[in-house]
Formats: sequence, structure tokens, C-alpha cells
Amino acid sequence: MRLAISIFIAKCAGFLSKTILRKSGETIPGRVLLKLQPDAISKLARDRKVILVSATNGKTSTTRALAKLISKLGPTVSNSSGSNLNWGAATTLMSKSEFVVLEVDELHLAKVARDTKPELILLLNLTRDQLHRMHEVKRVADRWHKLAQDLPETLFVGDIDDPFVAYALNGANKSIKVSFGGRRHEDGAVCPSCGKYLNWTKNNYKCSCGLTNKNPDQEYAPASAAIRNANLANVAGDAIGAKPGPINESELERSVVRNFGGVEAKFRLTKNPASWREALAGVKQSQVLLILNARQVDGIDTSWLWDVSFQSLAGKEIVVTGDRALDMAYRLHVEGINAKVAKDFSTAITTFDRGTEVDVLAAYTAFFELVGA
Amino acid sequence: MSKINIVRIHNELLGTYGDQGNAEVLVFRGKFHGITGNIIDVGYNDPLPTNGDIYLLGGAEDAAQLLSLEAINRDRETLDLVIERGAVILAVCAGFQIIGNSFWAAGKEVAGLGLLDVESIPGEKRFVGDIKIKSTNLDIELTGFENHAGRTILGPSATPFGKVQVGHGNGDGKFDGAVSGNIFGTYLHGPILARNPEFADLLLTRATGRKYSQITDPLAVQYANWRRKVTK
Repeated sequence: MRLAISIFIAKCAGFLSKTILRKSGETIPGRVLLKLQPDAISKLARDRKVILVSATNGKTSTTRALAKLISKLGPTVSNSSGSNLNWGAATTLMSKSEFVVLEVDELHLAKVARDTKPELILLLNLTRDQLHRMHEVKRVADRWHKLAQDLPETLFVGDIDDPFVAYALNGANKSIKVSFGGRRHEDGAVCPSCGKYLNWTKNNYKCSCGLTNKNPDQEYAPASAAIRNANLANVAGDAIGAKPGPINESELERSVVRNFGGVEAKFRLTKNPASWREALAGVKQSQVLLILNARQVDGIDTSWLWDVSFQSLAGKEIVVTGDRALDMAYRLHVEGINAKVAKDFSTAITTFDRGTEVDVLAAYTAFFELVGA
Repeated sequence: MSKINIVRIHNELLGTYGDQGNAEVLVFRGKFHGITGNIIDVGYNDPLPTNGDIYLLGGAEDAAQLLSLEAINRDRETLDLVIERGAVILAVCAGFQIIGNSFWAAGKEVAGLGLLDVESIPGEKRFVGDIKIKSTNLDIELTGFENHAGRTILGPSATPFGKVQVGHGNGDGKFDGAVSGNIFGTYLHGPILARNPEFADLLLTRATGRKYSQITDPLAVQYANWRRKVTK
């Protein structure tokens, strides 16, 4: 079947899924297209400037920021809703444009990159996440490293304060190593390159095999994840020829404010120890709602809750809900923090007084269900 | 009021799968029984303390598992000393493999600490998911989460830690873990003591030599029972 006909059928499928099933329409067309034309991604990517973004945390917001910068250079398409597996890439590539900015899942990066032969790959961070699917952080890092070795024409940009990113970039022929003055990595006790115990001096590491964050090409001041990602988007954009954008923390922290019956709820997305720590640091209100699920994309194991300290919530009014509310309640209980367990979100939100504000830290699936951003 | 030292061995290496919470739960449960628990974190470069009552090892990736074994072997005499003294050891997943006779990591077979008569070998399929076992030591069901590719074979002098009811455990679908005296090995994450507070109480009893009365912590009971009910 010709590519054009396959695209037409895929678009029809997407239209139907959007209008009848009310889905985002970013996944179905790509699925159909790849079924009809397994090599559609490489065909559609030919002669276009493709930029890929991958990380454990911050992919969606950083891809949006980077696509915004790139769009000033020419027509740009991007998978804006976070559909980041190969069919999401296929759907996005169906729209014509000069530039393509794609967020790609960590495990799918190698496949999508080999098909699209990108100009640039931006790597933000790699930490523990969905271990039921990733199995080991090192396994993902090895794939990234191998990918960088296999794509000598691609420019790799990344934050080398993360040893896993540094290891990936070490495999690259062309790279821009960025540092934010060092940062201790919670899962960084072992050198991902040689397997020796990684020597850290405060926030910097230097392994006898040579892996270090002390040799950056560009250096910035230490900052929150949101600001780091904004800077990394600017570095990547600059490499393509785009002007840097303003560093706007709130735009990149992926929070959404919604009003529920007079209660103003500020939602933050949380999905693994690193994103929980970042979100907990941003809690400002005395009322906090925590929503824990353990569906596939949330990670089906909740053991990691015990790697996060919730001490900063002590003394606040805490309500927990979600499929795994009890896991959260017991974890808090052992840390000496009392929480009310509510059976669902609507019950939980009504426990707060009208006219007050509440910080909501929501699991991935809960975030999408409730605010759909 | 008794005091116990809980030694968390190499959490920086053996902390990938959330097992560090086992130490916190021991301290928490201890409080109800009038025990003051003191957590001692041991790093890769630190000597193994001789004054521990309970020693904990958790799950890890291959390179970290090898580093941890190497560091413990530096203090082999200390380890033998504390075991002779009757200290309690709880080793989970990669930690369980470390305390066996041998295991595979990063593509090669290595000799373990030999505290339990088990051998671990690589398997083809990784076992990932909820697990429920009937405990050998306690007449109850224990729940947790397993995430491992290794298979463990029990030697003639090994007793299984539990009988698998849901999940895979050591790999044959029959047994999970191994136990010998005060040394416990298992594949259960969760962390296991958070999901199964009765097991935490058993470890405290073994560590202090005292029998403790039942305690009242409704949330712990509610959580443990709920996990037992839904793990099927």
C-alpha cells in the first residue's frame, strides 16, 4: 500500500477515535499507520529536521518549550500531549513540517532515533521510574550509550550532573555537555560506565574510568528541575539556530490550577522518587492532597514510596486518595504524619473549606484524569 | 526499655527497590513494644559495625550487588562474629542472592557469602508483579512485590522462607526465599516489613529474645489485610 493511502486511513481512524471515543487522537493514527506501513516513521522523517527529547522526568514540558523556540525557525510539529511511544511519533510525523520536535519514552528512544536520524537528541535526566517496565536504570543507560555510538551525525545535548546522561553522552561523536554546578544523584552510587563505586565529592563525581561532570561545555548555576530544563531547551534550540526563550519556572513545572467547588487546587504531576521530591519541595499550602495510583504508567510497585521523605508535610492537613491511598497512608503513618483517607477525589476535595487553597500531588494517571493536561 | 541497633547495609547500593523502609518499620513497630531502635547506615567504604542486632540488605542492580559483596567480604570476620552472636539478618532480592552460596551478576558467576545454602542462577524471563506466600515461620500469608530475573535453588540444608501462593518466588513457583535460624532471605519487596508488620515483630523478638504481646495499630492491620485480599 502506498504511504499516502495509509496516512489517509490512519487519519480517518484518528478522527473517529477523537469524535467517538473522545481520545487525544495522538496514539490511534500512529498505531494504524505503523500496522499498514511498518517503516512509516523513517519514510516520513526523511529530509526533515528531527529533534528528540528524552528523560525520566520533564519530557513533556521541555519538549513544549523547545518546540516553541524551534517554531520561530519554520513550520514545526510536536507530540504535545505526551504520547511518546513510536506510534505517538508516527502520528506527529503525519503532519507536514520542516521541523519535528518529539518527546520519546526512555526505552523507545533508540528505536525512534534509528528511524528518524535526528539532528539533535536532548537528554535531561535518568532516575528510577516504573521499574516493573524499565527493570534497571543501568539497562536504559546502556541503550542510550549504544545509541549515541550508533549515531555519529547526531548532536547529543545533556545534563552531565546526571552520571547516566554523562555516560550516554560519552558514547557520542558530537555532544554539548551541560552542568548546573553539580548535583548528587540519588541512584548514582555506581559508575554506569565501568561499574566501580563512583567517587562523589559533595555534588560532583569523578570516576577513575574518566566519567565526570567536571568537564562541561556549558555551565549554569544550580537550579530547580524546571529551570534546568528551560536552560537545556535553550541550549538545544541554540544548537539548531533558535533564539533562547525566557526562563519561566512555573511554565515548566507542569502544574495546573483548577477550582473545585470553591477550593483552588494546584496540581502537580508525580510519578517516581525524583519527581515526588521535586513536587514536595514546591508545596506551599497548609492543606495537601496526595493521590496515589499504581496503574501501568504510574509504576505498578509502590515500594519506592519508602525512598521519599514526607517530613516536610508534618503539621499540615493531609488527605490521601487514589487506588493505593492505603500504601501512602501507612508510609506517612510510619513517618509520624497523620492523614485522612478519602475514597475518591470528589470526597477528598470536599474535606477542604471553600475559599481555601490546596496543593495536590497527583500520580500520572490521576493527573490526566482530573486535569487532562 | 531495650535498645537495638538496626544496621542498614549499603543502602546506597542495595536501595534500588525501596527496601530501606524495612529499617523504619522496625523502629516504628519497636516503639509499641518499648524498644528503641537505632538505624546505622553503612556505606560502601564503612566498616561493618559489630554491635548490630538486625542487619538488613536490599535489592540492587548487578554492578551494585557486586560492589556490596566485595565490601562485605572485606569485613568477613565481623560478619561471622555477629552471626555467631545470633544477630538477625534480613536479605531481600539481590541481598538474598549475596548471602547464598553463589549467584550470577553482570554475566558471570560469583561466590556469595554462604550464609544460606542456596544458589542463584539467571533465568530467561523476568518475574515482575505482586507475590503472596505462606510463611514458614509465621502461620500467616505475607505479601509483597517481586522484580527479578534470577532463580534460586535450595540446597539440601536450606528451608524455604515461604510457600508461593501468588507469583513466582525462587522461580519454581513453589517456594520463596530461604531461612536458617535468624537468617532470612526472600524476594519480597514492598517493603516486606511495611506490608507484613507481624514479620517485623518476629524479627524484633528474635533480636531481643523477648516475646512481645500483640499491639494495636489498626492502620497497619488494615493495610496488611487489604494487600492479602487483593493479591490473588
